[in-house]
Amino acid sequence: MTAPSLTVAVDGTTVEVPAGATVLDAARAAGRWVPTLCFDARQAPFGACRACLVGVEGAAAPLPACTTPCRDGMVVDTKDPAGRRVATAVVELVLSELPQPPAPHTELAQVAQRLGVGEPRWPGETHAPQPADTRHPYLAFQHELCISCGRCVRACDELQGTFALTATGRGFHANVAAGLDEGFRASACVSCGACADTCPTDAITEVSLLP
Amino acid sequence: MSRNLVELVRRHHAQAAPSALDVLKDAVEQRGEVTDEDRREAARRSGLPEAAVFGVSTFYDDLLTPRGARHVRVCTGTACFAATGDAHVEQLRTATGLELGERAGDGSVSLAETVCLGFCHSAPAVRVTSDEADVVDAGPDVVARVLADTCVAAEEPAWESTLPEPVLTRPGDWSGLRRVREEGISPEALLEAVTAAEIRGRGGAGFPAGVKWGFARAAAGEQKFIVANGDEGDPGSYIDKYLMERNPALLLEGMALAGYAVGAAHGFVLVRSEYPRSKPALEAAAEAARADGWLGERFDVTIVEGAGSYVVGEETALLACLEGLRGTVSARPPFPAQEGLYGRPTVVNNVETLCNVPFVAARGAEPYHALSPDSETAGSKLVCFNERFVRPGVYEVPFGVSMGRLCEELAGGLRDGRAIKGVQVGGPLGGILPAARLETAFDFDALAAEGCMLGHGGILAFDDATSMRDVARHLLRFGAHESCGKCFPCRIGLRRAHAMFAGEEPVSRERLEQLLETLELGSLCAHGGGMPAPIRSLLRWWPDELGLAA
Amino acid sequence: MTTTTCGYCGVGCRLETDVRDGLIASIAPALDGPANLGHTCLKGRFAHRFARHRERLATPLIRDERGGPLRAASWEEAIERIVAELGRIRSAHGPDAIAGLASSRATNEDCYAMQRLMRAAIGTNNIDNCSRVCHSPTSFALRKALGLSGATGSFEDFDHADATILLGANPTEGHPVVGARIKQATLRGMQLVTIDPRRIELADYGVLHLSPRPGSNAAVMLGIAHVLERDGFVDHDFVAARTDGFEALAELLPAYAPEAVEAITGVPAADLEAAAHIYGEAANACISWGLGVTEHKYGSEVVQLICDAALMTGKIGRPGSALLPLRGQNNVQGSSDMGALPDTYTAYRSVTDEDVARSFEDAWGVPLSRRKGWTIPQMFDAAVAGDLRAMYIFGEDVAQTDPNTAHVVHALESLELLVCQDIFETETTRYADVILPASSFLEKSGTFTNAERRVQLVAPAIEPPGEARTDFEIIKAVSAAIGHELPWATPADAMDEIAALTPDWAGISHARLGRRGLQWPVAPDGTDAPILYEREFSRPGGRAHFAALPYKAPGDAADEEFPLILVTGRRLQHYNAGTMTRRTGNVELVDADVLEIHPDDAQRLWISEGDTISVRSRVGRIELPAHVTDRIERGHVFTTFHFPETRTNLLVGASADVNTSCPEYKVVAVDVRPIGEEPARVPALA
Repeated sequence: MTAPSLTVAVDGTTVEVPAGATVLDAARAAGRWVPTLCFDARQAPFGACRACLVGVEGAAAPLPACTTPCRDGMVVDTKDPAGRRVATAVVELVLSELPQPPAPHTELAQVAQRLGVGEPRWPGETHAPQPADTRHPYLAFQHELCISCGRCVRACDELQGTFALTATGRGFHANVAAGLDEGFRASACVSCGACADTCPTDAITEVSLLP
Repeated sequence: MSRNLVELVRRHHAQAAPSALDVLKDAVEQRGEVTDEDRREAARRSGLPEAAVFGVSTFYDDLLTPRGARHVRVCTGTACFAATGDAHVEQLRTATGLELGERAGDGSVSLAETVCLGFCHSAPAVRVTSDEADVVDAGPDVVARVLADTCVAAEEPAWESTLPEPVLTRPGDWSGLRRVREEGISPEALLEAVTAAEIRGRGGAGFPAGVKWGFARAAAGEQKFIVANGDEGDPGSYIDKYLMERNPALLLEGMALAGYAVGAAHGFVLVRSEYPRSKPALEAAAEAARADGWLGERFDVTIVEGAGSYVVGEETALLACLEGLRGTVSARPPFPAQEGLYGRPTVVNNVETLCNVPFVAARGAEPYHALSPDSETAGSKLVCFNERFVRPGVYEVPFGVSMGRLCEELAGGLRDGRAIKGVQVGGPLGGILPAARLETAFDFDALAAEGCMLGHGGILAFDDATSMRDVARHLLRFGAHESCGKCFPCRIGLRRAHAMFAGEEPVSRERLEQLLETLELGSLCAHGGGMPAPIRSLLRWWPDELGLAA
Repeated sequence: MTTTTCGYCGVGCRLETDVRDGLIASIAPALDGPANLGHTCLKGRFAHRFARHRERLATPLIRDERGGPLRAASWEEAIERIVAELGRIRSAHGPDAIAGLASSRATNEDCYAMQRLMRAAIGTNNIDNCSRVCHSPTSFALRKALGLSGATGSFEDFDHADATILLGANPTEGHPVVGARIKQATLRGMQLVTIDPRRIELADYGVLHLSPRPGSNAAVMLGIAHVLERDGFVDHDFVAARTDGFEALAELLPAYAPEAVEAITGVPAADLEAAAHIYGEAANACISWGLGVTEHKYGSEVVQLICDAALMTGKIGRPGSALLPLRGQNNVQGSSDMGALPDTYTAYRSVTDEDVARSFEDAWGVPLSRRKGWTIPQMFDAAVAGDLRAMYIFGEDVAQTDPNTAHVVHALESLELLVCQDIFETETTRYADVILPASSFLEKSGTFTNAERRVQLVAPAIEPPGEARTDFEIIKAVSAAIGHELPWATPADAMDEIAALTPDWAGISHARLGRRGLQWPVAPDGTDAPILYEREFSRPGGRAHFAALPYKAPGDAADEEFPLILVTGRRLQHYNAGTMTRRTGNVELVDADVLEIHPDDAQRLWISEGDTISVRSRVGRIELPAHVTDRIERGHVFTTFHFPETRTNLLVGASADVNTSCPEYKVVAVDVRPIGEEPARVPALA
């Protein structure tokens, strides 16, 4: 017995998706780009970055694609102007909290470029630079680059199941830590690297193993 | 929400393990601060992984400030701000030489901020905790008493009902549950009555309680919960405090009725830790109720104290706090009615909402509608006023009465001959009405049409001496400070918005509007989403006071 | 960017390698890897620097005289030396005086080439691989009971199971990606029962943990079968339609009531009943096991009893109901599938089967021996006895990993010729006359078969260093020099021959494998088999066979002189002999083997955390640091074998599985005491 499927139109392209699929799933199935920062296909949707707002016919305001379930017959506009304004504003805010522009290879830099977000126009506080935490042979922490997207914590939770990472603090000073803020090595970390793999900035990176 | 962490915590809770937050709070209360050894102990006992415990220990206000022999918590809420312009905070900082969140080198005293203590009727308020006593004192000379160590417990607010027959201000007597039992009213029939009564949520969202209960009743699973949201964090609001401390039996009866209708055998009240009297009052009432057979096998309650976070008033964050996790907001769906506390179907209702249920159970939907003859909204509402008014206190009023009547006739206008400049209704995320618009009816739709909200019913006046730019700065600082830190618009946007008003620089209206739109459309919850409302009121009615760029 | 398959463990993660200037810059998990789904562990991801470690063998080495030094040599000289010596020995003593060991780390094509070399070029069936010392009991038992030597389902079946019994395995350490998957399933509500003398990490997520005495697994399984039968969980329709032999088992079961089993195993009767009920009541359930089941004297019998439980309840042949042995090495499944075994050709078809032997004779153009060859333990015995005179070992360090190190060393020293083909010098190469520098998994092309029977492509990311060559090229060169050309230009060609000669592999080709691989058996049209036995078993008549095997005591037992039982195993950060992982950053994380001991035993023996202690068995003695932990039961101790200086396998004696000779690594009676108390009875090897 096959699961019921839903028909969804995304930017004019009609796709069939299984029941339970999200609007983001439908957009990806239709080959349409929706900006995301806190999304990783290997994890449950989180809904933190709010860059994925899209227009849905009948909805009063743009909806977050990653956490909105599809309904049969839904009509989606990934370029809804209000949604894109919010996405662009969000990315600009994120760039503004970092002490330096993100490296070009990072997902954040690529999303910013694709949305056409230039240098942020927000003066004011940024994350204070700290010395990099390189106590572990393979994984390095650069805390000031963290945008609190939660992907590393969720990778360690939902993929690896070691729960070695946590979000810390509150508000603007939210960040991420391993164990009792003791670095990867002393924590329960099993060095699987799923966190470095998913991090969209370079807050967690692989220590280069090239000589 | 981490389904895995919730499941781990559920398994341990089922074996009567404490929550990690409980263990950490104990450590602070016993030894004044949280150490890594405390965190490891919390992990061991609660089943929560060590890293997650660390995260919890960095989230809640009660855990953040190391405590001295005298731990002084000064309220920085809007009512206290409206009373003194935050002068009382300055005085304490200067006198102690401490920053907020600091402990003196010799450990004799520590200073922290808290929002809000629920003594808005006699602001400003300060709480002083030591091994000997835990006192909330309030009033114009409170700082002097704190410094002289002569604090006395502040008086509780007065209360009054304007209805022909008091409902929420009448002591709970279990007559609703009695009728249900004696007449053999089925859970379905009770649910129908609650739905027909159109009890709207009193916590701010106004969602129909009967509909919410219906979802939970229909959800799959045998274990279900009722959760009373007693995290009344809105500065200026002390309504739930009144109910929990002076009428706890009414709340417990409402919960028992909800449990019966939904099929839940257990309920939790999350009481904010800023209300130290609420938990003892509720527990005493629960004991009495058990002795009389109203609570017990079929339905019982656990009273849980929070640990200092405003956002925990949002229902998914509240459930996280009950589970001992960080109080961050989760995306919905899934809704708590399907997947709530410990992953089980859960009804989360505001304290006042639940207090409306016994009347409906005892008398039915019709009489409940009749309580507000001038409004489509059914039932009655508690409102409360801040210290600026002549007669601040808790009042039970019908919907539909005008704001002007409430402010001038009921609360007597402002003291010392001052004039009302603006009134913020419903909490810090509510719009602000200028004096000229006080004919607006106190009702959901009427207030919404003015960019305001009914919210939780707090009515907070700013007098003519108040600078509205200061109000903007104050509200945005509160918003940024309380942001849970999960969603980007709120975490970063509120910080930037506060910074726009924090200095002396002119404010770019265009940039501000962009931030407000981003917050309104983009925020994950009503905290970031609601913050623009009062700012829009300020822009609309007092643009010249805000220091906008030309 | 090259996509390949990991060369560490039997999960078979698909990896994306990023290469710059001929060096591996980084490795990431492939998002579409069917076994790993975008995840991997620290070994696959980070432990790749060994490939360019300064100790990598880069030239052939020759030792001119026994006990003398090694010198660099050319390929020509090295191969000439090998061929001349092998020729001499064969002429003087016959082809069966020569034996080969195929590497379970190497590809299917490498192993196939090796067994063809031994059989066709040399003329002997003396070829074996290291599955001998790990899952050979599984292979034997699954074939006997069900027909095919492989897991009956896939890792995905853990996602669909309502319950799982996990015996003698610690997947969060040994198969990390599968361990993580099982853990996620338990958090979603899958009822996990763990059975192991140690309280493994997954026991904290399961609903029940049983801690039987080492060596008593058969009694546990018989007890579970007893309860399943007693309490009405037998699927009689299934038993009648699809199996035979149940009556014999049923007659045996009355002797294994929970109380009787408790006396043998130490498992409380109520717990045993609970375990059986969890399995019996589940709509779908899996049973998964590791070397804690197989590396025992009666390991092959326990696996048959595991099959019995699934057959009794009909929990086999459908999604969520599978038997999933956790194969250890990346290609231990494949090396055996390829017939690198003394008694079978590819797909476990006997060397004595005329039809099969003829098909290979026709393909290879030479007559082939019908006589079964020696297993690895038999090879060592034969070497000591003077019957085996030459060995050609590739990719295995028997002197570190095989039991009874003293005996192994004696055997190697007794040979006239030892050829080692490897990537580093090892404990074994100390005794080699010729060492050939070979390739790692990052430098070769071919296929690995993971624990799900999934054949996946391996593609080279970098070149072998210096003059090292791929194993495939080396074996081809040696075989040609001996006089038998292996007619394949590439490993893909070798796979085509395998497919042509092996019905179960008929539809496999490199072109077809793509990014997802194929699970054998693969039909000629390319249809593969994620689930086995949906309609019939691969035994005569299509029926599975119940085994009626009573419990028998293990080969070793604690006594007054050796009062504790040692269990050996693996840790997350290192892999087996540590040949690769010890030459990566992983040593910064774990740099020694330690002995885990229960606090009560430690206290009794005056041992504290970190003390260096002496561990002595009937055959050897070692020293290592102690780690006091209550995750192990009183009376047991546990250690790993990742560091050659520890020489853990000195302790392991000759006791082995009765059917397959898999060594009983998991039941070694030992005496443990702080250093300085008593001089060693058997001196440790220098």
